Amino acid sequence: MRTNLFTLTAAAGALALALTACGSDDGGGSDAALVGEGTGDDCVIEAEVPVGAALSLTGAAASYGESQQNGLKLAAEHLNEKEGVTYALTVEDDQTDPKQGISLFETFAGDGTSVIIGPTLSNTAFQAQPIAQDEGVPVLAISNTAAGITEQGDYIFRDSLTEGQVIPQTVATSVETYGLENVIVMYSNDDAFTESGYEVMASSLEEEGVTVLETLTFSKADTDFRALLTEAKNAEPDAIFVSGLIEAAIPLVTQARELGIEVPIIGGNGFNNPQLMTDAGEASEGVVVGAAWNSASDNPENAAFLEAYETEFGSQPDQFAAQAYTGMMLIDHAVREQCSAERDAIKAGLGNISEVPSVLGTISINENRDAEHPAVVQVVKDGKFTVLN
Amino acid sequence: MFTESTFVFIALGAIFAYSFYAVLVAGQLSLGQAGFASLAAFTAATLAPSPKDVGDLPALLIAIVIGMSVGALTAVILGLPTMRLRGVFLAIATLAFAEAVRILIINMGWTGGAQGMSVPKVVEPWMAWVILALVAYWFWRQAPSRYGRALEAIREDELAARAMGIDVGGHRLSAFVSAGAIAGLYGVLWAYYVRLLAPEDFGFTKAIDGLVTAVVGGSTTFFGPLLGSVFLEMIPEVQRAIGIEAGWIRPFLAGLLMLLVILFLPGGLASLLPRRTLRLVSGTAIDADPEGALGGLAQRIHPAQGETVVDLVGLGKDYGGVHANKDIDLHITGGEVIGLIGPNGAGKTTLVNMISGLSKPTSGTAEVLGLRPGKAAVHKVAAAGVSRTFQHSKLFARLSALENVMVGGHLVGKPTFLRRLLWLPSARRDERRLVLHAARCLERVGLAGKESTAASALSYGDQRRLEIARALASDPSLLILDEPAAGMNHVEADALSALIGSLAQDGLTILLIEHNVGMVMKTCSRIVVLNFGEVIATGTPDEIANNPAVVEAYLGSAEPEDAS
Repeated sequence: MRTNLFTLTAAAGALALALTACGSDDGGGSDAALVGEGTGDDCVIEAEVPVGAALSLTGAAASYGESQQNGLKLAAEHLNEKEGVTYALTVEDDQTDPKQGISLFETFAGDGTSVIIGPTLSNTAFQAQPIAQDEGVPVLAISNTAAGITEQGDYIFRDSLTEGQVIPQTVATSVETYGLENVIVMYSNDDAFTESGYEVMASSLEEEGVTVLETLTFSKADTDFRALLTEAKNAEPDAIFVSGLIEAAIPLVTQARELGIEVPIIGGNGFNNPQLMTDAGEASEGVVVGAAWNSASDNPENAAFLEAYETEFGSQPDQFAAQAYTGMMLIDHAVREQCSAERDAIKAGLGNISEVPSVLGTISINENRDAEHPAVVQVVKDGKFTVLN
Repeated sequence: MFTESTFVFIALGAIFAYSFYAVLVAGQLSLGQAGFASLAAFTAATLAPSPKDVGDLPALLIAIVIGMSVGALTAVILGLPTMRLRGVFLAIATLAFAEAVRILIINMGWTGGAQGMSVPKVVEPWMAWVILALVAYWFWRQAPSRYGRALEAIREDELAARAMGIDVGGHRLSAFVSAGAIAGLYGVLWAYYVRLLAPEDFGFTKAIDGLVTAVVGGSTTFFGPLLGSVFLEMIPEVQRAIGIEAGWIRPFLAGLLMLLVILFLPGGLASLLPRRTLRLVSGTAIDADPEGALGGLAQRIHPAQGETVVDLVGLGKDYGGVHANKDIDLHITGGEVIGLIGPNGAGKTTLVNMISGLSKPTSGTAEVLGLRPGKAAVHKVAAAGVSRTFQHSKLFARLSALENVMVGGHLVGKPTFLRRLLWLPSARRDERRLVLHAARCLERVGLAGKESTAASALSYGDQRRLEIARALASDPSLLILDEPAAGMNHVEADALSALIGSLAQDGLTILLIEHNVGMVMKTCSRIVVLNFGEVIATGTPDEIANNPAVVEAYLGSAEPEDAS
């Protein structure tokens, strides 16, 4: 037994040494080839630019990760058709597990990846992105909406608008359009995304001078909202504001209409998904959705994206796919600016992005490394998102 | 391909699995560890000073102390009402607790709700591994100590453990508390490594992960959780390294692998390594032992001849309307060998269950060695000097014969766990004494040479003998043998009869239940006959043999029934 334990320990030790060794020997080497000649559209970089994406392809957030993966792949495909720079996109799965997220960021930081995209969820972002910051790898977050993401360090950027950028506009527009005075607020309080969305929602409503009759909480796993909705109905509100994910949005909207609640239902980013119309059908008519991406926008980038996505995947893209697609485009923009795919060049390039036309509209990265582009307030009309004026 | 965090998460995963191991060794299935971990982590992260003020390591150590205390304290509070629960009921109760904690933390202001709280990263890989080594060391030293054996005995057969004088409630609670403390430790380490402490990371999945790690690794040997953690943390890394495309295939393969492990290695990965067997002392060592009969172990003074050992007055036991025992008066004095006979269903086992405290009488009073069994806990009755075998063997199946007897010696041995942690030579000496004592008990019943055989692998007759050896190991004043000769041939029965005689010579009082009437007649000084729950005759073997009521009731009427 003693010998066995000893062998076991020795083997574990040897394994550890071997693994650390092979973890650290990649890194540099090909860096020189990542610098090319020319600028902008004329830039030519010989080596493939390694881009790593850590997304939740399985686990609780899998549905978002899937869309993001589609968006990224489509973008990489489009970019590689252009002359000069080719991207080697590696999409990895963090399994909606912070352990995997951290491990993936370490892997990307260690293998010479030029820029990291992700992760899908804000909570994982707080756990994994500091690793890239420490290692000096630029990160572009494409779906993190929580406050404080980019405050983690000067290598962290995002193209996703925060709750603070989207929701106040949604609240203001809908209050004005519908003349709201008394409202009900509902949110799932066991999810970081919807909870932070609620916090912004509550403060915006207060700013607008709207009375919140009642604040009702549910769990992100809930599918039956009849009891809460009955309570909401009895309060006779002018509208119901909801901070929830699409999984909650569909049954909530459907059941509200079943119960005869005809007042507007107003949701945030989580509602900005074509599934809302496909799955809730008639009930989704009149639902107001404040979002970072105007899916109905007719700007040329968006129109091309919608068409390409539909051809490629046979379904309509959601906001996650649009933001992912834009992310790749922004990285390309940053790479071409100095014609270098070295980490610090990309970091500088991302910081300089200003007034770039994109699927999300004209986008800039501000001094806090957050994106700035028009948000949109949409309303579902005839089974389609249309801009609410 | 493998990164720093993989090593840290292997260590953390193993520590968390140890918190499941801590209770699984005692046969308890708890799923509350994620709750302990999250309470501990949030409390510690809130209360502990910032690493900026006091330095990384001191801050972490303070947080660990806070976290482990919170975990242990919560386990006491949860354990007191739930330790009576067994199996799946305990699992559900503890799971409910963990869920309540999760909801509480989501709704509390100071925890940051679903968005969690940010915690400085302090834990370095070496810290995680040093702490893991300490935890593993704890369980390594625990396993072959008196405490560790008691836990294993409880896992194998709780009733028998009780009858061997083990305070089952206390042991279960202490195992639960150590699970709470280790889960708390895990929570703190997790928080100080991943930077963001979020309640969603301590949900149901986390509890299942910990349980799976412990079970896949092996929950009966101390290195099982470590093996399990290496295995489970490596699966995604290896899959990534060999280039299996990200997506559903990976979790599917991981699930399949686990299924294979459980199917083909029911003892977990640890069963791939040979199980530790207690090194035996040679026969000469037993003879050469200078320190008297019990080799320096606690020794009991048996009641002298004529002193009261058992005094039953009007004792009765009803199960609903059925009188299992009715109005039993029995007085047993020191050194007697009493035979208790009667047809099947006469209430013999019910009577000895009441004497040994396993069941409560519904009427009358019983006094055994100065205690009131039924009022006093079973392990206290055992501590007073009552030891017994069971009609249907209740051995600790997965323990070796020697370990079975050593558990029997629980009451005469001294606690050795804490001294083993410190490597005190006295612990080694005490363990050695107990081994010698146990080996002597085995030899006495004729099981010398079978010390390292697992109890479940013994033949039926040997199992009966092992039961006797185990009962003897506690140096009892009153030994109750419930059908010890069942399944023995007459040569073996004669040997048993001789053994009982020699035990009586040593001053033991013996209560023998047996169907082998010849053996009872030969062995006992006095015989009590039960029928339909009542004493129908008491007397010397000769008187009983000639008692017509006994002959009719038990041996069968000489005349055909229709003649009356």
